[in-house]
Amino acid sequence: MTLKANHRIHAILKDRCIVLDGATGTELQKRGMPPGVCPEVWCLDNPDVIRDIHEGYLKAGADIIYTCTFGANRFKLAQYNRSDVYGMNRDLARIARRAAGRKGLVAGDIGSTGRFVEPFGDLAFEEAVAVFTEQIRGLVDGGVDLLVIETMIDIQEARAALLAAREAADLFTLVTMTFEEGGRTLTGTDPAAALVTLQSLGADAVGCNCSSGPAEMVRLIGAMSPVRAVPLVAKPNAGMPQMRDGETVFSMTPRDFASHARSFLALGVAFLGGCCGTTPEHIRELKDSLQGLRPEGRLPHRVSALSSCRKALFIEQGNPLLIVGEGINPTGRPALQEELRRGRTTIIERLGRDQEDQGADLLDVNVGAPGVDEPAMMVSALKALSATATLPLVIDSPDPAVIEAGLRIYPGRALINSISGESSQLEVMLSLAARYGAMFILLPLAEGGVPGNAGERKDIIRSVYREARRRGFTKADIVIDGLVMTVSTDAAAPLETLATVEWATRSFKCPTILGLTNVSHGLPARKWLNAAFLAMAQSRGLTMAIANPAQEELMHVKAGGDVLTGRDRDGAAFCGRFAEGTTEKRRDRSGENRLPLEEKIARAVREGSRESIEALLKAALDNGIHPEDILSGMLIPTISDVGIGYERKELFLPQLVAAAETMQRGVAYLEPLLKKDRKKSAAPGTIVMATVEGDIHDIGKNIVILMLKNQGYTIIDLGKDVPAERIIGEARRVRADLIGLSALMTTTMVSMEKTILKARSEGLTCPIMVGGAVVTSSWASSIGAHYARDGVDAVRRADTLLRTTSKAK
Amino acid sequence: MSMAEPIKFFETITIETPRESIYRRLGYRKSTTVLSSEEKRTVDRVIDHARSLVRLKGAALRAAIEDRDEKTVVLAGGARFRSSRLAVFLEGCDECLVMGATGGGTVMEAIASDTARDNLTEAVIVDAAASEMVDASLDWITRYYAGLLRRERKGLLKRRYSAGYGDFALEHQHMIYEMLDLARLDVTINEQALLIPEKSVTAITGIRTL
Repeated sequence: MTLKANHRIHAILKDRCIVLDGATGTELQKRGMPPGVCPEVWCLDNPDVIRDIHEGYLKAGADIIYTCTFGANRFKLAQYNRSDVYGMNRDLARIARRAAGRKGLVAGDIGSTGRFVEPFGDLAFEEAVAVFTEQIRGLVDGGVDLLVIETMIDIQEARAALLAAREAADLFTLVTMTFEEGGRTLTGTDPAAALVTLQSLGADAVGCNCSSGPAEMVRLIGAMSPVRAVPLVAKPNAGMPQMRDGETVFSMTPRDFASHARSFLALGVAFLGGCCGTTPEHIRELKDSLQGLRPEGRLPHRVSALSSCRKALFIEQGNPLLIVGEGINPTGRPALQEELRRGRTTIIERLGRDQEDQGADLLDVNVGAPGVDEPAMMVSALKALSATATLPLVIDSPDPAVIEAGLRIYPGRALINSISGESSQLEVMLSLAARYGAMFILLPLAEGGVPGNAGERKDIIRSVYREARRRGFTKADIVIDGLVMTVSTDAAAPLETLATVEWATRSFKCPTILGLTNVSHGLPARKWLNAAFLAMAQSRGLTMAIANPAQEELMHVKAGGDVLTGRDRDGAAFCGRFAEGTTEKRRDRSGENRLPLEEKIARAVREGSRESIEALLKAALDNGIHPEDILSGMLIPTISDVGIGYERKELFLPQLVAAAETMQRGVAYLEPLLKKDRKKSAAPGTIVMATVEGDIHDIGKNIVILMLKNQGYTIIDLGKDVPAERIIGEARRVRADLIGLSALMTTTMVSMEKTILKARSEGLTCPIMVGGAVVTSSWASSIGAHYARDGVDAVRRADTLLRTTSKAK
Repeated sequence: MSMAEPIKFFETITIETPRESIYRRLGYRKSTTVLSSEEKRTVDRVIDHARSLVRLKGAALRAAIEDRDEKTVVLAGGARFRSSRLAVFLEGCDECLVMGATGGGTVMEAIASDTARDNLTEAVIVDAAASEMVDASLDWITRYYAGLLRRERKGLLKRRYSAGYGDFALEHQHMIYEMLDLARLDVTINEQALLIPEKSVTAITGIRTL
């Protein structure tokens, strides 16, 4: 049955598009299924109804009907106190089988469990596979011809279902994902990444369902089309849902729905049907519109591609050189080794983030170290990195057990580092790569040691490739390692490596990679050798390099090499790399040297230029300007202007705070000089500041403190969660002129009132100022306090209050 | 409605960085705020840094509304919310969705560290970014449920309610904390109903039949 169905599908696809059925849920509701019931249970209780729906779609022209088993998995059925997963799936499949007879094809429908699979959720990957396997067994025994995994929003759940399908049955399997308005799934996967992951893992057709109407889905399919290696599937809704008389309706007519068929076909869609809101009439119109049209059978030129759970990475000759970040490797890193022995991933996550920020395109992951459970650690590392980094990962280990553990859990298409010609592991490693659809780095090593020249390496490469071809690999699945040996032990080694790279790229026509830093081992000033070697390799066509993206010189040379080899067309990336703050800043600064010193100081404060303020103040002092004049004539008026700009919303909070911090640095620089001269002018006042008891929010308070200090106030900062007794005690001790209280929550602002009442009952008469997100002016007045809206307002209040106040006693 | 659903935990919530709302939270106004491209690059860099520090997780629970009057809403399991505004808000709904999200403790450590190093400028950006990202996590959770509910011909109300606003007293946070078992997400709650880490939020919205 299986082989026959597969042949039948392929035979149909040679001539025409395969038509899928439409929505089932709405059809069931029209026929009396009450809301809130389990659709699968209801269908088993009312088999004539579901059979009627199946037959309706078949009569309308559908080639394939889906079984009514979308929610027939263990978790969903448990919500209805049902546990007979196998039996329900089998029986519902049998109903569809009877309806389809010999003419129609039956797809076993597998929907989401409703849970997210690790690392995105709490469902263990193997448990997810087991749940889907259970369902698939029932569907297969019920007589389905193929399987469809649909409405998936989590790429990892889709992978688990697909692996279950491949391991439990040998049926043609479609997988369709659901994307949101922004063009990604809820868990952030874009259409190209979903396609690369699923087609490499063995899906026979990949696409979208639900999500949107046909016009929007054409765009999603369009993102998949150029890199497809399998036919595409589209099952859009009947337009976008609209509210009408309190009900949600899909109002697209069958004719409008079908009018998009040609657009889908042109993009390589070979399976076309309908989802929410579609009816047998929609499918009939669709079938009619497809008459005489053939699907676009030609697949695009194969492109090498990897994927993370978020995005795809395409490896093409002529694109900029790709950098594989080498940092996640415990060799020579005791702290990382210790972390791995403890099974932790904090350093790994930081290394992943840092390398991504530094410009890496992929991350090599090596967790091999003495005392480390390597397979388990590789799983932990890949899970952690998948959750925190967006880059595709390279699984680096010579141990097949580690590779397998990593490939199974990784929610994307990985690159294996590496597979060599050594016969002891070639068979096992190639099988693993084939099973999980991974790309692999081909290392031209075999028994008998390191091949010294390019000729020997070519022989090994050809030999391994022949073995790989037997398992279905093409050159698009392989990256050739040129095999870098250290120049200090063999002066000719780099040239042999470069010759290997050039041959692999230009003649053998495969992507290439080098582990760069090996070339300089044992020599001083390694970074210059590495950079020179990189540039030479780029000119020979090198595709990727395993390197340290934190090495700025290397990354600059790489950027230059991309320009010189025509991979950075128009030099846009190169210019962007070196143009950080140039043109804009240069325009801003063009007249700066001619500005008077006073204006330069004011500008430094306004622009938050903390690095330049001290030098400018020194210049002012050297010019004989009195420190007090600098403070009161330049800094204070400037910060006041900044405050006014903030209130007018000409500046926003980071600019205000940057200006205030610059002023603070300036005041700190002048302070020793001011203290000498300031015998007469005392600080304008002493203020005790605190976040009240029970509240731990303090960022607003810290901004107020910064602003007040800049105005010369002496601030006693008691921190956060401060009891009333401490606030009052400290205010008395320092003879505070003012108390400032902060609270962010309705439950903690009552502590403000408590503090004020206690202060007054103990005879403390200094004014109290309050602020925070939930505090209002009227509330402040009601508790006998003064209200400050923000830092700028707090300065204004303090200035006003301290002219009329008495000191705390 | 289906029989009781357990709490759903989301170990990793992936969102697009909500730059526009972060800028707005920081007081940026397109029509009036003057921002150089250099300053914008700096702010964006810090926002990206904040994104790398935040680990978004969440939890949600569908609960039937068993009883109500004009001042109280009682959920299946006995949770009793006293709020006239909440009662009005949930009118017409026979279920509600209770949800919570957290950004984790690492980002708070970073804010404290920046503050201690007199780098308050970065601290305020990270603080605003973390707050908006945690809010965006609640949007993510509602989008997830909207997709599930559509198949049941149900939908969510457009807005959501949080304890501490209007007459929905913050003290209800203790009950919500227990309902969602937020301890499992490494969130604690103090006597003042403050969730720790600070960048943690809860909310309730209604589920209605369409």
